[in-house]
Amino acid sequence: MLEAASAIQLGIKGTGSSKQPRLPPCRSPHTSAKLSSLHARLSLSPTFPLETLARCLIDPTAEPNPKFNNATLSNLGNNLLGYYTTEHLLAKYPRLPIDVLYAAMHAYISPQTLFQAGREWGVEDAFEPTLEVDAGLLQFKRLKPGEPWGPERFFKTGDESALEPPAPATDDPTSKSTLDSEAEKKEVEGIPLSHATANFVKSVFAGIYLHESPSSAHHFFRQHIISRHLDISKLFNFEQPTRHLSRLCAREGFQPPIARLLSETGRRSRTPVFIVGAYSGEERLGEGYGASLDEARIRAAVSALKGWYLYSPTEKKEAEEEEEEGGREFSSVFVDVGEVIV
Amino acid sequence: MSVQGLRTISKARNGFAGFILQCKRLEFNYCDWAGSSGGMNAFLTHDLPKFAKANPQIEMVVSPRPHKHPIIRGVYINGREKVICVRNLHHQQILEQANLLKNSSGLKLKKINKPVASVNESVRGIFSPFHGVKHEV
Repeated sequence: MLEAASAIQLGIKGTGSSKQPRLPPCRSPHTSAKLSSLHARLSLSPTFPLETLARCLIDPTAEPNPKFNNATLSNLGNNLLGYYTTEHLLAKYPRLPIDVLYAAMHAYISPQTLFQAGREWGVEDAFEPTLEVDAGLLQFKRLKPGEPWGPERFFKTGDESALEPPAPATDDPTSKSTLDSEAEKKEVEGIPLSHATANFVKSVFAGIYLHESPSSAHHFFRQHIISRHLDISKLFNFEQPTRHLSRLCAREGFQPPIARLLSETGRRSRTPVFIVGAYSGEERLGEGYGASLDEARIRAAVSALKGWYLYSPTEKKEAEEEEEEGGREFSSVFVDVGEVIV
Repeated sequence: MSVQGLRTISKARNGFAGFILQCKRLEFNYCDWAGSSGGMNAFLTHDLPKFAKANPQIEMVVSPRPHKHPIIRGVYINGREKVICVRNLHHQQILEQANLLKNSSGLKLKKINKPVASVNESVRGIFSPFHGVKHEV
């Protein structure tokens, strides 16, 4: 398959001679040592063909034909990763505020994280996507130094548009097409290494989903993404924690929160310590320490809010796990009403 | 927005659920002429096929290094390399050296004083003098 791809690539490039150049044996997926060692390193099943793994390594910037690059695979992998991560986070922490949920998803499946994952899998990249490159190397066209990437690619800053002369308004029907061709010319050819590696990682998930089974893809996800360390309690940034807590108590029908001093030392000294509890009636919702009463009170409110939002049901069931068990009736997970609007 | 999420990146824990062998490539260099490569040449013909079959996750590279002592070079996922000179060694000893490189993590050798290293917080928490039974003098 890949040989066909390389032949097509050859046709596009048009080397001029009808005779194909002799390619090194490492170009073919079945004779590339790098590719088969990567396959074994990831413990992929024999049903996952080497050809697909080779295709996962070819970025659209290296081979524009969608039949031979990883564009479709990485799109599927992206959807799978998004679905699995959301499901995992919402089943584990049903009360997570939406912004914290997005931050947690970013921590697990952002291109930067997937780039790290790809590096930790030992994926190497080719300097230039030429024909004789080893099939086990990541092939993509590098972004030139200084080329914009990300939002700057699509939006011009105010200064640049001000400097440019306004386009003359003409009724010429060809003017639009000339503008289009200019836009095409300006389109950036290349991709940063991090995004190319992340696309490879996504494509591997898609390959497992297609060639093995959905449950193997989910298992692979648990092995390589969910096993990563992330402290979700450190992702919260409350703007007004005390006000937030009192709104939450009002919504849930608890008594309004009161801060009570639990313990203190050195009030008149240079280094005082106060321990303050946030109470709702007789119940202590959270506790905090601080060098001033206000600081301790705010920490207590934050701890109470984290206690609420990081609630985790003891019985977590993801749909995939239930499918594996077989015959068990689907029971939906606990869904919370959502965060408080302060 | 009353609560914001802070952007960060999760940290890998190799071996926690999935395991990736850290040695990604082993390079064996030999010389046809020199006597110190005798063991290496025997290793390449007798032991290496079996060793490579048993370790499919490692890429094996065999290349000549004329008029030099034979070496094994291990290349690791963290980007480091480890090189062992195997001059005048028996092929069985060379296999041991190859296994040593295979099992290495690629990190610099360092003394480990604590029996457990963890990224998780302590379950017991940090001692606080403000909680629990007050000490009476």
